[in-house]
Amino acid sequence: MNLWILAGVRTPFLRAGTQFAPLHATDLGRHAVAALLARTGIDPAELDEVILGCVGQPADAANVARVIALRAGVPQHVPAATVQRNCASGLEAITTAAERLAAGRGELFLVGGVESMSHAPLLFSDTAAKHFDKLGRAKTPLQKLAALARFRPRDFAPRVGLKLGLTDPFSGLMMGSTAETLAREFCISRDAQDLFAADSHRKALAADDARAREIATVHTGGEAVTADNGPRADSTPDKLAKLRPIFEPAWGTVTAGNSSQVSDGAVALLVGSEAAARRLGLTPLGRLTHYHYSGCDPARMGLGPVSAIAGAIARGAPSPVEADVVELNEAFAAQVLAVLKALRDPKAAALAGLTRAPGEISPEKLNRRGGAIALGHPVGATGSRLVLTALDQLHETGGTRALVTLCIGGGQGAALWLERP
Amino acid sequence: MPNLHLHRDVDRATLTFDREGSSANLFDSATLDELDRLLDELEAHPPADGLLIVSAKPSIFIAGADVKALANASPDELDEMIRLGQTVFDRIARLRVPTVAAIHGACAGGGFELALACDWRVASRDRATKIGLPEVQLGILPAWGGSTRLPRLLGLPKALDVILGAKLHAAESARRKGLVDAVVPQETLVAQAWQFAARGKRPQVFRPLLHSPPLRALIAGRARKAMLEKTRGNYPAPPKALHVVCSAAGSPVQAGFALERRAILELAPMAETKNLIRLFFLGEKAKKHQPVAAEAKPVGQVAVIGSGVMGSGIAHWLALRGHPVLLQDIDDAALARGMRAIESLLQQAVARHVVTRNEAMHALDRITAVREKVPLDRCDLVIEAAVENLAIKRNVFADLAARVRPDCLLATNTSALPVHELADVVPNPGRLFGLHFFNPVHRMPLVEVVRAERTSDPTVASAFALVRSLGKTPVLVKDRLGFLVNRILLPYLVEAGLMFQNGAVPKEIDDAMLDFGMPMGPLRLIDEVGLDVALHVAKTLAAAFPDRMTVPAVLEAMVAKQLLGKKTGAGFYTYQGRQPVPNPDAMALRPGHDSVPDGLPGRLADKMSEEAALCLEEGIAATGDDIDLAMILGTGYPPFRGGPLHHRNHPIPP
Repeated sequence: MNLWILAGVRTPFLRAGTQFAPLHATDLGRHAVAALLARTGIDPAELDEVILGCVGQPADAANVARVIALRAGVPQHVPAATVQRNCASGLEAITTAAERLAAGRGELFLVGGVESMSHAPLLFSDTAAKHFDKLGRAKTPLQKLAALARFRPRDFAPRVGLKLGLTDPFSGLMMGSTAETLAREFCISRDAQDLFAADSHRKALAADDARAREIATVHTGGEAVTADNGPRADSTPDKLAKLRPIFEPAWGTVTAGNSSQVSDGAVALLVGSEAAARRLGLTPLGRLTHYHYSGCDPARMGLGPVSAIAGAIARGAPSPVEADVVELNEAFAAQVLAVLKALRDPKAAALAGLTRAPGEISPEKLNRRGGAIALGHPVGATGSRLVLTALDQLHETGGTRALVTLCIGGGQGAALWLERP
Repeated sequence: MPNLHLHRDVDRATLTFDREGSSANLFDSATLDELDRLLDELEAHPPADGLLIVSAKPSIFIAGADVKALANASPDELDEMIRLGQTVFDRIARLRVPTVAAIHGACAGGGFELALACDWRVASRDRATKIGLPEVQLGILPAWGGSTRLPRLLGLPKALDVILGAKLHAAESARRKGLVDAVVPQETLVAQAWQFAARGKRPQVFRPLLHSPPLRALIAGRARKAMLEKTRGNYPAPPKALHVVCSAAGSPVQAGFALERRAILELAPMAETKNLIRLFFLGEKAKKHQPVAAEAKPVGQVAVIGSGVMGSGIAHWLALRGHPVLLQDIDDAALARGMRAIESLLQQAVARHVVTRNEAMHALDRITAVREKVPLDRCDLVIEAAVENLAIKRNVFADLAARVRPDCLLATNTSALPVHELADVVPNPGRLFGLHFFNPVHRMPLVEVVRAERTSDPTVASAFALVRSLGKTPVLVKDRLGFLVNRILLPYLVEAGLMFQNGAVPKEIDDAMLDFGMPMGPLRLIDEVGLDVALHVAKTLAAAFPDRMTVPAVLEAMVAKQLLGKKTGAGFYTYQGRQPVPNPDAMALRPGHDSVPDGLPGRLADKMSEEAALCLEEGIAATGDDIDLAMILGTGYPPFRGGPLHHRNHPIPP
């Protein structure tokens, strides 16, 4: 494969409802893209396409990638597309560019992902929508009064878009409940989950300076937002143990503390052919060598990485053992631990539907700068963040190969391999 | 020479203004005569569907009366011209068929008075379309029926706002004010105008209550009070216009015309009017004047270094005018403050309907704030607005020169440091110049373009073109201490400081200069600028001109006590309440006691005139006209006095 990652930058990831709450997805995306253009100094007119991942596209910015591109100063002749593969949308943007390149449809792409979970919508129920429609069509005052009289109090109870988005419509399960299923079936204890979560925070805090290299400051509301605000020094196993399970209050193990945080953020990457890199005089950060998307049981969507990694191996990718850096998205601690178990333990692998375990990931290579439990999971942006951080870690450690893998709501997995030149 | 063309199509007539050999349509006696003759034919054979008035020029409907002809007319000729205009426009108003002005482009003064004589006014939704009655700015008043017709159209209060405001309005704002009936896309202008003609003659509106004598007196009284607060009685035209509009609203049309005529004949010979008209021509000349014969280079992306008050102000203005801007600062907190300042400027502009919400968003999007040293090779110009410290500026320019293209223009926004002292750190110093914006950038119309010894002609030409594209007036100045405006202002400010030191009360000094016509008293101005900044500049100048200037010791004492002006809440005044109050702490620092200084305001004003004369001698600016215009645009020197040099030779007694 010939797709090179030439440069990348992201906004800080902030908990939803904090300093980025006034900013929309287009604002966040514009910041990331403008920062990337400023840092690389490239002429955006040379781009062949802008491709961004976004899960919940804003109602006022359909094809959010196009709006972001124009607002960031990309000239109008450069087309833009938004891609959606749920939690892997930020990866889908990169692999889409790889496919465009392979198909001879361009040499230089600006890709990435964006999500403002602060702006997840509140929706009216279908019956309320019907009543509003009737009201809109009413002409005479009497008709209007009649239309108004049809409303019932329950019509004004909003449906929370975020909750809908985090529920699998096929199995009817909340994402957290799928994690509970894995915790039960793979015997992942509450203690193990909390320990993993605390570790994510600890690693994130220790990597403050390293993460700063990934981040472009956002100046908003009179303040300079320079860093992620998810990692907490007080997220210790003891503290985490006190939290109540949210999905299964009676017997569950999945808490807000050992799940990924709901966040706002955006990532922008410049990718293209080797020739494009040479033309622009940019030193590539790394090359995309393999990737694979796989499907799995929607009710056990957290296992997605297992089948995706196995599928990538079947297409020539190395075993996870050979990775120097691994970024495995932390949707839920239970889900990550189940995946790790299935990768190393034949019995667990069998439970995940594989005939043999693909290979163990050693803990010191895994999510060295913390994961989504500490940093947050702005769903559309995460895939791109994992690639950005994995490449920077390869450069930091002198490693050669990185594996990026995610579970995907709806029952899919993604695995993507990168190589440092 | 025919300037007008009448075209008939069955029952429709179209009158096209197309002044020969000119890009603008103007009204002079010849054009009025021509229109007069065409009206014979229109009256004899009225076009049943109506008469449409349009312009053939791409960006001008009718720019107004020929100001040169007005200014040079003898009283009799002027009287004749006014009568002619009134008569001709009234013949249009009396046509039995519907009349519509289809306005695309500038429609000002006499041009709009013609439109007012029509039944309907339709304007194109285009940036070129500007509508209004700016006469009062020239020291006269609308006298071709405008002062009589506008109150009948809008009602007295709104008409007074428009005539005394003397502004040109964009199409949409003109529609909100009632100056035009509709705003439509340019392509549909003529078709839409005919739609209005189909409505017939405009029904007359009577306002028996609003225009009753007691209400008129009340409205006039309130308007007069607001006007005097602004003009302090220095300008003769606004009170005259106010009187005419208020009286005409309650008199027959012909009586209104007579009032207009008498007022303009009284105003035209006054010194204030002549000064304002001269200023108008100076401004027109400054819009076109090319100081060098070189070709200007287009400027796209600009980097602004430093995001303090000036840097963010410049970035805001550039972005609003379409330039992508990299706003760079070494401090993230300063960048955040700068971006916040830009956001609030844009919010204010949206609130005042100066820009749309969308334009504001685009302007903000064009600015990328960066702390990191990013590549600058896509920038055509870098404007440095870092702290006023030569060593720091030299470092900044040495670093910039290494990061930009060899042909990238390099400008410093210094207000006092010599530009040439940066030249040796820059390869190819022909591209280095000073670009001195005044604070606040979005409101001050003047920019000093500082030519250092080695600044090249193409650089000067590019700077002039850029400043003009930003909607500001450039003045070319030599690279001498304080350049032009600050150099002239400083001795005046220092003298005010000396008066204060000798015991004068701050308010007495400031009030005297307000009465003289300055927009702000000198001590208030020092408070705004900051005493530390003013002291620094004053010391630099005093060191250069020791025989002419001594820095008052009280300034040093105040700076030592942290009485730095508005930014610290106290300087010559304290700024706690709504109104600034003379600061007793500052007054206690001076040796003198409560003496009333002699010769105010002349003594202070003369300081400016003297320094201006020296600047002219030294060739800081090319001409005395440049200096007068720069002082009026850069400091608000009273326009009716014509500038410090004009004031020296033709003083108007205060």
